[in-house]
Amino acid sequence: MADDKKLNRRDFIQNSMRTTLGIAVVGLGGLSMLRSKGENWVWQIDPFKCTWCGRCATSCVMTPSAVKCVNAYDLCGYCDLCTGYFKNGVKDLNTGAENLVCPTSAIVRKFIEEPYFQFDIVEKLCIGCGKCVKGCTQFGNGSFILQIRHDRCKNCNECAIARMCPSDAIKRVPANTPYMIKSDFIRK
Amino acid sequence: MNKRPIIIFLLLMAAIIVFVIYKDLISKRPENRSVNPYEYDVVKYKSVDSAMVRYKEAQVISLNTRAPRGLAYANRKLYIASDSLLQVITVDGKEVNRAKLPASPSCITVTDQSIFIGFNDFIAAFDLNGKMTGRWKPLGKKTLITSLAVKDNLLFAADAGSRKVHRYSTDGKYLGVFDGKSAKDSKHGFIIPSPYFDVAFNHDGELWIANTGKRALEQYYDNGTFRTFWSNDEVGIEGFWGCCNPAHFTFLPDGSFVTSEKNNVRIKVYKPSGALDCVVAPSEKFPNEELAPALATTPEGDIYALDFQKKEIRLFQHK
Ligand code: SF4
Ligand code: SF4
Ligand code: SF4
Repeated sequence: MADDKKLNRRDFIQNSMRTTLGIAVVGLGGLSMLRSKGENWVWQIDPFKCTWCGRCATSCVMTPSAVKCVNAYDLCGYCDLCTGYFKNGVKDLNTGAENLVCPTSAIVRKFIEEPYFQFDIVEKLCIGCGKCVKGCTQFGNGSFILQIRHDRCKNCNECAIARMCPSDAIKRVPANTPYMIKSDFIRK
Repeated sequence: MNKRPIIIFLLLMAAIIVFVIYKDLISKRPENRSVNPYEYDVVKYKSVDSAMVRYKEAQVISLNTRAPRGLAYANRKLYIASDSLLQVITVDGKEVNRAKLPASPSCITVTDQSIFIGFNDFIAAFDLNGKMTGRWKPLGKKTLITSLAVKDNLLFAADAGSRKVHRYSTDGKYLGVFDGKSAKDSKHGFIIPSPYFDVAFNHDGELWIANTGKRALEQYYDNGTFRTFWSNDEVGIEGFWGCCNPAHFTFLPDGSFVTSEKNNVRIKVYKPSGALDCVVAPSEKFPNEELAPALATTPEGDIYALDFQKKEIRLFQHK
């Protein structure tokens, strides 16, 4: 009986150790999974909420900002008179800097065929000011949008722009779908 | 005396004060925001001299529908194509008929005998009770029918997908197509950067088409030959601006054009010459809208606007 008890106690201690070890391993695994899940979220701008306030250019911890203009080509009209490219009221579509919306000449206008033009963003020059996005959205098809570019974003714990955004347009999105391109989803 | 509670209280108060000041500093209240160095002022293009607004909003009819798509006025009734439904309502908003449609519609026109409805890539004819009398052959994958116009036994269908206008007889016989080229060697015809492409007859039976990418209204002979046009590339109230305007248009009984614009949404009347006559509804009437309302007019000169976002028909009458 005493032997049995002894054995039982030993068994009990061994079982307890095994269980504790098991819990520790599973717990550690779970924790690391949780952590890696936590890292699987990135910041992004909801283009339907953004009101082009200019803060994306000035509030990001990066200089120049990690926010860039992106052209959702599916929505773009390839317009001769692109209101994201030309200032309102220009008399002729002359590409002199005084006629252009972009303060850094980051938009390239490429002739496709009469009378269609493609508009590409030179990300190196874009500071994410949103002027072109406002012009395009207020008078055109709204294909220009601001997006946080993840090749340069630091994925800060708290996005410095999100703190200042007056439209609550910046939110966490899953890292496997890191962009919110207008033509891929519709306004909620 | 024990000073500890007082010290704890004072420390707590100090912490609260620091927290409140910090919160205030980082708050997004407008007065806390710095001036936007990249401000792009477009508000000035939306303001209108109130003397130019010669219409008042006289009635609003709420539509019990999920997605209104097209509006027509005929026989003293309003015809609405929406969801997969045709609705007929009286001018005081009472629904008098409702019929199921074979697909989701994209536009509608009504004569005193028939209803014609565009369904993205095909057209169907109905009698005035909503019974389908003919379903015409689909036009192909690229087709997006955005507007229909009927004169006598001819029907014209604007196709924003292929940037062409198709010509039919009203019994569904396909008669041909034209692309808006003013001459054989013209480099382009209709320029349609977004799915807005309207076609309408005025009361003299002249066919007009909105070449939205050129911000122009163009007149064509019935055989599709270009005749004349007017346009006014102007960001102010006098003209049309942006990628594709006027998004919708129709006519008043005197031949004046009623136009509606997208994004900077506004409704205006232009004289038959193309000179601005007056404003029906300035942008402030559409503070949150960006879709151009579809239009319909009555023989009395009233203007109905289908507000897609509010799902309302809004009546504008001369002041
Ligand atoms: S701060 Fe917000 S509203 Fe302003 S430009 Fe950036 S995303 Fe848009
Ligand atoms: S206007 Fe501003 S957001 Fe647009 S391309 Fe230029 S720098 Fe970038
Ligand atoms: S997360 Fe940081 S680096 Fe990325 S956009 Fe926001 S502030 Fe800039």
